[in-house]
Amino acid sequence: MTNWRLKEIIVMAVLSVVFGIVYLAFLPVGKLLVSFMGPIGYDFIFGIWFIVSIIAAYILRKPGAAFLSETIAATVEMLLGNAMGPIIIITGMIQGLGAEAAFAATRYKRYSLWVLMLAGVGAAIFSFVWGYFRGGYAALSTPYVISMLIVRIISGAIISGVLGKAISDALAKTGVLSSFALGKQINKARSVS
Amino acid sequence: MSALLNNLNPSIKAIAVVIAVCLLTFVFDPFTPLIYGIVVILFTFLFGKVNWKLYIGYYLIICLLSIGMLWTSIAFADEPTNPEVTTQFLFWELPKENVTVALSLTLRMLTFAALSFMFIFTTNMVHFILSLMQQCKLPPKLAYGILAGYRFLPLMREELQQIRAAHQVRGVRRASGIKESIQQYKRYAIPLLAGAIRKAERTAVAMESKGFSGEKARIFYRQFRVTFIDWLFLSSMIMLLIIIVAISIKLGYFSWYKGQF
Repeated sequence: MTNWRLKEIIVMAVLSVVFGIVYLAFLPVGKLLVSFMGPIGYDFIFGIWFIVSIIAAYILRKPGAAFLSETIAATVEMLLGNAMGPIIIITGMIQGLGAEAAFAATRYKRYSLWVLMLAGVGAAIFSFVWGYFRGGYAALSTPYVISMLIVRIISGAIISGVLGKAISDALAKTGVLSSFALGKQINKARSVS
Repeated sequence: MSALLNNLNPSIKAIAVVIAVCLLTFVFDPFTPLIYGIVVILFTFLFGKVNWKLYIGYYLIICLLSIGMLWTSIAFADEPTNPEVTTQFLFWELPKENVTVALSLTLRMLTFAALSFMFIFTTNMVHFILSLMQQCKLPPKLAYGILAGYRFLPLMREELQQIRAAHQVRGVRRASGIKESIQQYKRYAIPLLAGAIRKAERTAVAMESKGFSGEKARIFYRQFRVTFIDWLFLSSMIMLLIIIVAISIKLGYFSWYKGQF
């Protein structure tokens, strides 16, 4: 935390709070899908629940951004009334660690679309392992569980990776990120060309 | 009715709930979560000052959802090891194993909800963050950052109304169709997020100019301490679970998580 500027911490916190609400808002959507398709319904939109870690890491480019933002978003989600209670903080930590692992594997140097998608996949896999034990997926039939995993991985890559990048880039275009890593990089690219 | 639960240390309360949920995760029979859930609700009722209308409303929603969960976990269940052992469930003849597992998963979810409601309905959000900073070593920079972000929520609602009004004044028509409504979401979301980031930057500057250094050695206006009562609560929550597990072992209901892969 020592090499973070206060500005970056607060921006990360604000993003997390905002997406905590988005996460909560998507729960009924997930539940609706579940009631049509069974537990796999969640997996189609599961990527939405990793998106803040990808956005925060892509904008701030600091070790820990993915993990911390996801943890805070989960905390906010709980405080605003997620029925899972404090356990969701641990869920958020695990998802954040999954995304963080992808960024750590590139030593926090590369932030291309592929890395962001990989982060989404990492979060999907971590969250699946956690969900397997906690959510009782063990009681479901094996082919069903495998298709859940595949759908979740794709959702993580597309929704959190591709959409997360699109949102961050759109934000950078407005110029509000000029004092953060993503904005600086875009400015540099612009002045060169 | 007292407000004992409301006055507990928020961090200890959260830890108690997390431990109880983690332990319950390994239980795979319907009896234990059912009894523990009832005990937790009684606990909330006896020792907490809660907005009961809201509590009951929320809980009913969870109950409705859990019926869906019961259905899906029966419908998508794994092949039972003893398919010939069946049981009458409502109108259907189903493998006993599947019904037991589905019931236990559903009741577990209801118990998780009871535990988390015990926490949410008796805890003030600001107190929880302050207590995390004082008891759990959450860095002050992060804690006050989260509090600032939380404070932005009502401001953002206002801003959303402004953006909507601005669009209307300029004659942006209502979205029709999927493509247009995605466009509309983007038109709302990006300015909203951009505004929030600008505000966050300004808040950070204001905090620093008023001498906020984020140092860990600081004093607090609102002090949170861990007292004997907090430990008593934590241990009694866990003891109750152990006692219920013991009873269900004695009655022969208990079933452990033994690799139902």
